[in-house]
Amino acid sequence: MTRRPGKGRRQIALKDRLTPVLISLVSVVVVFGAVAWFVGSAEQWPRIQLQFFSLDAMLEAAPGVARGFLVSLQIWLISLVCIGVWALILAIFRAMSGPWFAPLRVFAVLYVDLFRGLPALLLVLLFGFGIPALNLPGLPKEGLFWGGVALILSYSAYATEVYRSGIEAVHEGQSMAAKALGLTQWQTLRYAILPQALRNVVPAMLNLVVALQKDVALLSVLGVRDAVREAQIYTARTFNYSSLVVAAILFLLATIPLARLTDHLQRKDRQRRLQGAL
Amino acid sequence: MADKHNIFAVALLAAIALVMPALAQEKTPNDPRLFTPGKLTVSTSEPAYPPWVLDNNPEAGEGFEAALVYALAAELGFKREDVVWVDVTFDGAIAPGPKAYDFSIQQISVTPDRAKVATFSDVYYQSDKAVIALPSSTVANAKSFADLKAARWGVAVGTTDFDYVTNVLGIDNAQVYDDQAGVFQALQGGQIDATIAALPTALYATCCQVPDARITALLPKDPKDEGLGLLFAYENPIVPWINEGLAALKEKGTIDELVKKYLVADPNIPTISE
Repeated sequence: MTRRPGKGRRQIALKDRLTPVLISLVSVVVVFGAVAWFVGSAEQWPRIQLQFFSLDAMLEAAPGVARGFLVSLQIWLISLVCIGVWALILAIFRAMSGPWFAPLRVFAVLYVDLFRGLPALLLVLLFGFGIPALNLPGLPKEGLFWGGVALILSYSAYATEVYRSGIEAVHEGQSMAAKALGLTQWQTLRYAILPQALRNVVPAMLNLVVALQKDVALLSVLGVRDAVREAQIYTARTFNYSSLVVAAILFLLATIPLARLTDHLQRKDRQRRLQGAL
Repeated sequence: MADKHNIFAVALLAAIALVMPALAQEKTPNDPRLFTPGKLTVSTSEPAYPPWVLDNNPEAGEGFEAALVYALAAELGFKREDVVWVDVTFDGAIAPGPKAYDFSIQQISVTPDRAKVATFSDVYYQSDKAVIALPSSTVANAKSFADLKAARWGVAVGTTDFDYVTNVLGIDNAQVYDDQAGVFQALQGGQIDATIAALPTALYATCCQVPDARITALLPKDPKDEGLGLLFAYENPIVPWINEGLAALKEKGTIDELVKKYLVADPNIPTISE
């Protein structure tokens, strides 16, 4: 009789699979049930529920918060493009070797030190209130513009370092090989190093992308009415915090798919790279 | 059996002895329902601005709200040193839950929406709204709401100024800042043309915080803004007692005197009403 490989294994696996699932389910129900019971037993819970999770208030606040969220999204997307480009330029400055490029390297190092060392909020306040107060002719005055510039400058410092780590992670042999083929420094970067470096940094970059989306709320100090500010306006008017929950839900709706995308990209990348080994 | 009855009777007497003084002390400075019986614990913002509190020092009792609290405390039978001040932000004052003070006083407007989830005292003052702008701005010559609408507006979050600009003036793109300081910064930087504030706040701002700016017009009251009230933890039982004190101060004319002392306006400011 020929042995059917895998059948026995599958039967055991079914039972082995079920038990952990059951244990997970039970423990999840017990733990979250206990938390829910503990919170619900608080004397103040009905009032908290009314002021934080009132469906009526959420619906009433939703249009304003959603409008603010669109503002947040616009700032976010425009800043992303600018950060992606500017940080890449800085990373290339940093990666250039040879004495002639020393000023560029020094500039990139100083830039990262400066802007990574300052709190984003401080930069937003300095740029958003400070520059318009100079009353320089020809410069825009909108808080939105200067706040956006501050965010871009700040986040570019982090993104530069991410790019750099990606560039440095490409094996030295790659650039040696490129040099041996007669490629110039620029061609080496363009055709050999960067394509590999950029692929390496995608997950780390997406991390920054998610962080930036939330930091857009910093611009509210300059009067920009983003999702958080719109929620605060509703809270101040009614003393009801449900609008903040609406804003939280909108942020999660935007960031959770991004997190899953990051996971997916990472998995695909690993599979692609291990293809030869499997 | 008799022993048991005796024990019961003693327990009952003891309970009455405990409860009676408590009842007797209600509406006195030793009211057990106060945050600290014997003290009137009041919160205000840090910093607190003139003319509401002078020199950011409410203990001195100078400034409209500081003086009002001491007058109220005296009316309710507290000694001057029994008034305890604590700091709380606007956000802290409006958050649900128990509070570490009896009430908060920081120019909080009473509105029907807010009254659904928070407990206010009776209104102690209702002020006009004032337009603040730089003299060079087009707002300075505005004659109608339509003129005002053409300007770029900014207000502080948490104020009824926002509701006023949005609902009464019909402006839907006002910038909203963290606080009045941010608004004035934006005004001076030319990022906004105008802001509004309660008249007393505006008077102080234009004299001392932003001397470049002027009160360019007064505006009519917002019918939905009932005026300033003390803010209590939700359904705090001492509110009726405090209201009795406020009513007595109104009757005696004490509040009017304080208004005259701290909150008078220049009578030469034009009013725009439509």
